[in-house]
Amino acid sequence: MAERAKPRQAQDKLAFLLSLVPYLMDHDRVSVSTAAQHFGVPEEQIREAVRLIGVSGIPGETATYQHGDLFDIAWDDFEDNDEIVLTNLVAIDDSPRFSAREAAALIAGLQYLSALPEHADRDAIATLTAKLSRGASAEPSQVAVEASAADETLALARESVTKGLQLSFDYLNSQGQAERRRVDPLRVESVDADWYLRGWDHVREAVRTFRLDRISNPEITTESITHDASDVALPDKLFEGSADDLIVTIDIAASAAPLLADYIPDNAEGIEKDGRLRTTVRVSHYHGLKRLIAGMPGVATVVEPAEARAIVAEWAAAGAARYHA
Amino acid sequence: MPAEGSSIRVPVEERLFSLVLALLATDSGLTKSEILSTVQGYSQKFSHSGDNSNLERQFERDKDDIRELGVPLETIDSPGQAGNNQNLRYRIPRGAYELPSDITFSPEETTLLNLAAMVWREGSISGESRRAIIKLRSLGVATTEPVLSYAPRVRVRDAAFEPLSAALEKRQVVRFAYLKPGDAEATVRTVAPLALVQHQGRWHLYAEDVDSGTNKTFLLRRIVSQVATLAKTFPAPPADTKDKALLELEDVWNSHTAIVDVQPGTDAATRLRRRRGSSVAAPGSLELHYSDTNIFADELASFGPEAVVVSPPELRDAVRTRLERTAADHG
Repeated sequence: MAERAKPRQAQDKLAFLLSLVPYLMDHDRVSVSTAAQHFGVPEEQIREAVRLIGVSGIPGETATYQHGDLFDIAWDDFEDNDEIVLTNLVAIDDSPRFSAREAAALIAGLQYLSALPEHADRDAIATLTAKLSRGASAEPSQVAVEASAADETLALARESVTKGLQLSFDYLNSQGQAERRRVDPLRVESVDADWYLRGWDHVREAVRTFRLDRISNPEITTESITHDASDVALPDKLFEGSADDLIVTIDIAASAAPLLADYIPDNAEGIEKDGRLRTTVRVSHYHGLKRLIAGMPGVATVVEPAEARAIVAEWAAAGAARYHA
Repeated sequence: MPAEGSSIRVPVEERLFSLVLALLATDSGLTKSEILSTVQGYSQKFSHSGDNSNLERQFERDKDDIRELGVPLETIDSPGQAGNNQNLRYRIPRGAYELPSDITFSPEETTLLNLAAMVWREGSISGESRRAIIKLRSLGVATTEPVLSYAPRVRVRDAAFEPLSAALEKRQVVRFAYLKPGDAEATVRTVAPLALVQHQGRWHLYAEDVDSGTNKTFLLRRIVSQVATLAKTFPAPPADTKDKALLELEDVWNSHTAIVDVQPGTDAATRLRRRRGSSVAAPGSLELHYSDTNIFADELASFGPEAVVVSPPELRDAVRTRLERTAADHG
């Protein structure tokens, strides 16, 4: 892998150079910080690229890279004022096309997100897809993701933020208790076909994550939102560990371990033997664990503590008993 | 003129950038020897008298890396010397390189595309979507902040995804061992990969079986060996193949119907009712669709006593067997 990493980096840098030049051509004078912000990269990356562009060019008639065959920039403005002005252009006139795979990645992403309230206009997605296909250097690759199902909670969450009013809904936690929750929506997250709402929970006075399919009867309240996405730091991970978490030792088919990656702590030790991996998972309570394990029959088994084993056994046995009635 | 064998080290990106510039600037194309002897990054290592085979191999790899970015680096015969490999000429035709000038993106569209790119955060496809966004930003369009923030993610954790997507791109036949549920042993399949599609959160390969000539769908998580990529290639499938693959999966989904009793007020009642395509068959009883008996049985087993399958019998048996197994494994 290490061997491959280097050209990838160089490829990324090349794509960046080929993209930066047309942007600079369209801006007679632009500050390094503006360009960095636009591309979402560190300022030093812009400076490095500009220094390279400033000495690059084509071999030209003489095949010796004469001055007129090179890009040039106003070096004084660059060195003294951190501003970029291209003063001589070569070879490049316009932005590059997307590759087949680049276009496919965006098209599949759009398709997946088609249920978002932002995508209410279906024609807009079709138009964008057509533009990406036409803007690619080859037929976009055959990669697709099923469109996510439209969900009224998403539309209400957006409305809640737009209006600045709290969202309330019935929520069943995994221990089976239902309660009315009042939330300031902060972020909608998803993992494949599962969707989550993260928000400031006014009952718990903390950030909480809610599965959309456990939410029912959502409605906009008349109470004002007190937290928004800009003043709450949301961790990147959907499932954050907490000090109260229970640690459980499990045996899992090694090939299935990635399915539980979110629950396996980063520092967990794993011992692999005969295709089975013995490792630890972190859960907030055994009621969540019993559902998780019962959904992986024969694939994952709880080793200890005994209490966790008993709760899983009881859950599965109660389920089986319903078939013997 | 750079000295022969000069030790000045030219960074890889500078060599690649110089190569693209040189090939964009030529209409008639450059021969390999013109490129190696003059273009920045090659010329420093070029020997006018000796052996340049290392440099030539370098050039071959660079061409691949550049083409992977969607740059249409093409070869043409020298005038009057068709078929003479030594005199092949290389160039990048401007029209095929540049984004057509009538393709523009509004700030709203740019915002949607940024979101679409965020979906990919693993594997090589994340690098591709990141590069696509860099190219998009090249157009200088500012984005609008979405009202509600989003962090969407599609995972590509199946080990088979990367090799299959590479083979798909190069249209190369692949071979792997596939374990069908209920079978004791995996069987080896040799197929032409036509599309990779995610349906209900799971990746599927839509492929043509080389022996039978029929199209089949494989679940990536049931591929139990490494994916071997063979030298044999196949013609490009029609552009709508991926849509067809999704449609077939959707047909399978629709054709499988189960009746499941759920205990009111439980997690099963809430979540299964919210499942796509779910409808109420009778009070406390849901009609549900599914793709695959074994996968759906796993899902239903997780609900323990909260859900009981009424029909079909094979799904009922599959869930019961799973629950008994889990109870026994933890007894």
